[in-house]
Amino acid sequence: MPHYACNAQFQTCRIIENLQIADDTFRIRIESQAIARETLPGQFVMLRIHGCNDPLIGRAFALYDRYTEDHAQWQGIDLVYLVKGKFTQALSRLSEDDLVAMNGPLGNTFSVAPVDHLVMAVGGVGQTPMLAVGREALGSQKFGNEVDELIDGEQTLSRNGYAKKVTLLYGARTAGRLAGIQDFRNAGFDVRLATDDGSIGEPKPVTDLLLDLLEVAPATESIRIVCCGPEPMMAAVSAIAKEKNISCEVSLETPMACGIGICFSCVAKIRQTDGQWDYQRTCVEGPIFDSAKLVW
Amino acid sequence: MTTTETIDLSTKLGRLSLANPILTASGTFGYAREMASIVDLTKLGGILPKTITRDPRPGNAPWRTVETSAGLLNAIGLDNDGVDYFLANHWPYLKSIGSPVIVSIAGKSQEDFVYLAQRMNEAEGLAALELNVSCPNVSGGVDFGTDPRSCFDVVSGVRNAISCPLLTKLTPNVTSIAAIAKAAADAGTDAVSCVNTVLGMAIDWRKRRALLGNKVGGLSGPAIKPVALRCVYQVASQVNIPIVGIGGIATVDDCMEFFIAGASAVQIGTANYYDPQVSTRLIDHLPDAIRSLGARSLQEIVGTLQ
Repeated sequence: MPHYACNAQFQTCRIIENLQIADDTFRIRIESQAIARETLPGQFVMLRIHGCNDPLIGRAFALYDRYTEDHAQWQGIDLVYLVKGKFTQALSRLSEDDLVAMNGPLGNTFSVAPVDHLVMAVGGVGQTPMLAVGREALGSQKFGNEVDELIDGEQTLSRNGYAKKVTLLYGARTAGRLAGIQDFRNAGFDVRLATDDGSIGEPKPVTDLLLDLLEVAPATESIRIVCCGPEPMMAAVSAIAKEKNISCEVSLETPMACGIGICFSCVAKIRQTDGQWDYQRTCVEGPIFDSAKLVW
Repeated sequence: MTTTETIDLSTKLGRLSLANPILTASGTFGYAREMASIVDLTKLGGILPKTITRDPRPGNAPWRTVETSAGLLNAIGLDNDGVDYFLANHWPYLKSIGSPVIVSIAGKSQEDFVYLAQRMNEAEGLAALELNVSCPNVSGGVDFGTDPRSCFDVVSGVRNAISCPLLTKLTPNVTSIAAIAKAAADAGTDAVSCVNTVLGMAIDWRKRRALLGNKVGGLSGPAIKPVALRCVYQVASQVNIPIVGIGGIATVDDCMEFFIAGASAVQIGTANYYDPQVSTRLIDHLPDAIRSLGARSLQEIVGTLQ
C-alpha cells in the first residue's frame, strides 16, 4: 500500500537559522512543532520558498535532525542541503524569519527490525537522513508520536532502538564537502570516511569502505545496510549486498514535482512479483526500497 | 448585508452541470485517493483523474519533469495501467467521492477512443468524459488535436457511440485553436478544455543532452498562463461552445481572468503539485471576487471582456 500523505501537514513556516556547515552545504532550521513531532527517520518534506513562483516547484529533503530550545518539546526540524541548482541557491540566500512552505512528513521509512549492526553507506549529500536513522537505531531518540504508529491501517513495530551498533561509511568528493561529521560522532556512530581526492580518509570509494568492513565482520553478527547517495554508488552498494547476501535498503532521490503521488514524475524501476519491472512512484512507494527490488 | 449575500458559483458545460467552476486537471491529481487526506474532495466542482488508455502504458523513461522559469516541463508519457485496471481498482473509489468525476481518455486511433468511451459509459456514476486529443507525449495523440478534420471525426465517433457529456481537451500547439474548437463543437462536444501543455524542451549544454527522458515535453504552470488565456479568448470570440480554462491557474485573480475571457469553469493543474490545497481555497475565495464586480453569480461575469 503506498504511503499517501496520511499525516502530512501543509504549513507556512519560519526559518530559525540557515547556516553554512561545509563547502556548498547548508543546514536550515525550520520551525514546525507538528512536523517535528510526526516525522520519522527516512521520511522527507517538500520545501518551497513562500510565495515564490520561480523557483516554482517544491524540493524534497530528508529529515536531518530536530531541535528544541525549551527541552519540553521538539520545536522544528533541521534539513541539510547541497547548493546545486536554482532552488538551493535561492534557499541558501534566505535567513532568519524568512518563510518557507513545508509539506510533510512524506514517504516511507527504513526497516526497524532488530539487527546487530546497522551499516549506513552514504555518498555525496546522502548522509542527510542518517543522523536520525542512526539515533533511532541506537535508541537514543524516539521519533513520531510516542505510540505505535498506524500507517495506512497497518501497525508498525514499536519504534524503539533496534541496532546494537551503527557504523557510518561516508564518501565525498573532497574533505570540504563532508558535512555533519561531529553530529554523527556525537550520536555514537562509528564514522569512517573516504574522499575521492584523499584529502580526508582514504582515497577510495565508499564501496571499498564497505568491503573492508564486511571482510572483518564477525560471522555471528547480523548486518543490515542502509544506503543513500549518487545512483551509481547505490547500485554498487546494492550489488555488494546481493553478492554477500546482506539485506540492504536504499533511499532514492529521483526528481519529484509533487512529493504526494499525483504527478508520476519520480518513478523508479521496481521489480514485481512476476519478475517484470514497473515504474513506481518514489514519493509514495518509497523513497526507501529494498535494494533487491530495484532495477538499476 | 450585501457582503454576505450568497454568490451562485454553479456552472454548466453543455449537458454537464457543476456546483462550482473549480476542477482539478487530469494528470495533476493522481486518482484522487492520493489527495483524500489533503483536500476535501467533496467540495470540488469536478475531479479529472489521470488519463487512461486502452492498454497499460509504462510511461516515459525519467527524467519525466524538469522545472523551468515559473513553469514545469513534463513528459510522463501517459503512465497508466489501462482501462480494465482503472475500472477495477480506481473507479470504485472515484465514484464513491460524491463529486462529479470526469474521466480523461486518450487513444492512438478513433477506434481506441470509441472503445474507451464505451467502456467508461458502462461505469456507474460517470459525470462526463474528457477526450485528451492533445497529449504531446504520445505519438498519435497530438494529431487529433492539430487537424480540424481528425478532431471532428474522433469527437463525432465518440459522440455517436455514447450518451454522456463530452469535453474535448485542446492543444495550444496549433495555428488556430478556434478552428479546432469549432470542429469539436460541430462534432457535438459539450465543451472544450483550453489548453493542454505547450511543447517545450530543456537542455544541459555541458552534457549536450536533453534533460527530459523523452527529450521534448509539455510546459505548464504560471509561465503558460498568458498563452492559455489568449486561447480561451480566441475560442470564446469565435466559437459558441462552453470553455474550461486551463493553464497556470493558481490564484483567484487567475480564475477571474479566465472567466472574463470566456471560460465557464477552470481546471487547476500544476498548482496542485506545489500548493496541494489550492483548489478548495479558490472555491472559498471566489465569491468575494465575483461580488467585487457587483455580480451575484459566476454566470453574470463569464465572457464579459470589454
